[in-house]
Amino acid sequence: MRGIPTVLITVSPEVSAQMRPPRALYPKGFKVGNSLGRPNMRELQRQVLRDALTLLTENTRPGDYVTHEYPDYGEQHEPPKVKQ
Amino acid sequence: MSTLSRKCVPFTPFDRTLDKSTVALVTAGGVHLKDQEAFNIADELGDLTYRVIPPDVDSSQLMVTHHHYDHADADADINVVFPIDVLRDLVEEGFIAGVAKKHVGYMGYTMQLKAMYEGTAHEIANEIDKGSRADLVVLTGG
Repeated sequence: MRGIPTVLITVSPEVSAQMRPPRALYPKGFKVGNSLGRPNMRELQRQVLRDALTLLTENTRPGDYVTHEYPDYGEQHEPPKVKQ
Repeated sequence: MSTLSRKCVPFTPFDRTLDKSTVALVTAGGVHLKDQEAFNIADELGDLTYRVIPPDVDSSQLMVTHHHYDHADADADINVVFPIDVLRDLVEEGFIAGVAKKHVGYMGYTMQLKAMYEGTAHEIANEIDKGSRADLVVLTGG
């Protein structure tokens, strides 16, 4: 099997980074349960999905995650921390 | 059987363009059809099974069974963890070519990480690889 290109959308970037995903987008400040945004914010959800897909065409560093800001999301949340 | 080093990142290059690509969704957020068996959240070890979700699903027929994140928002709009309608929007605008023939939901909380990693993950990859016609996969948690 050749393998399938993937991209991860994560709202727990430090946790996800431990598994060193090949491509990952962290929408800044999105809470757990809101990977694509808040309910019915369709244009925001579209933009997050477009940005995640675009990572497949970019020179990402496997194991790193890319952070994008989405001001329309509103209230920011701290992501879960990795326990040391 | 070879085992991947922990430091080795599995990376498959993407050598197409998005506007010619078909996309599959795989979520750990516990998403399934209302008429599929729900994930077993009473099992403390976690449920290692997965559900195949068809491409033409009506998003109102999807639900979440998961006890390790607050899925009230997903209950209101499944697209926040499983963006199937959003994916269709991107096809309509020509950003991507199509929606894959199979998508997958599983329940990502597990105390059996090895079994999930060595079993379920391979099964899901095979499901997508054989018959979904996906060129790439978008992964979400919750």
